[in-house]
Amino acid sequence: MDVLENREQWLAEFQQGWLAHYEQTGETLWKIYNRPRNSTAPAGKRIDLRQSRLVLITSAGSYLAATQQPYDAANTMGDYTIRTYPTTTPLNDLAYAHDHYDHTTVNQDAQVLVPLRHLEDLTAAGMIGELAPNAISFMGYQPVVPRVLDETIPAVVDAVKAEQAHAALLVPA
Amino acid sequence: MAGIATTLTSWNAGVTRLTMPPRATFTRLSRGSTIGRPGDTAQQRRILEATLALLAQDAPIDPVLLEEE
Repeated sequence: MDVLENREQWLAEFQQGWLAHYEQTGETLWKIYNRPRNSTAPAGKRIDLRQSRLVLITSAGSYLAATQQPYDAANTMGDYTIRTYPTTTPLNDLAYAHDHYDHTTVNQDAQVLVPLRHLEDLTAAGMIGELAPNAISFMGYQPVVPRVLDETIPAVVDAVKAEQAHAALLVPA
Repeated sequence: MAGIATTLTSWNAGVTRLTMPPRATFTRLSRGSTIGRPGDTAQQRRILEATLALLAQDAPIDPVLLEEE
């Protein structure tokens, strides 16, 4: 099953609409942006989370401030790379490179977008079997959907496999 | 992600619904506060637990609207 059902149609509409307008004017006109859409949700088997390893995937643009490169948050065409960091990371060690949401709340309480301490607590309580050693992060401003399909998603899938996770919690910003 | 059970929570039901996720909860929270209001540990835990609980069901399932704002 394709992640996006109508990739070629989406790309044509994007090139003729939002992208053409941007290239002609320099303006990002969101009212003409064609949101990706599917007609069918993917099927999948239930799991027993108490016996499973869970990985956190967040699009908050979080990264390790001291050791990792920030995302290219100012790039109008987006950033399609990912970062991983240990789930034991102190939340104060994270920074956020994402220009498309207000950081006031995440700066007050990182768990609104990166709920690592809650997930640790739920693991200790037995609701989650195991938390993957690393969380997966990207910057969710990614207007060029084929680049998401060809770059971000394969990198995320490889990272999930490396974590040997059975389940993933996605937290979009 | 074939073989990996996924679940998510979103404050943006309109846009998220278009992508047809296999499991999802939706709230009426604000952008930047996906898991709950800052400092509101009880709300954050409710949203997380409700979202993770969906993993116990075969997908796809209809998104679940949580009365959280």
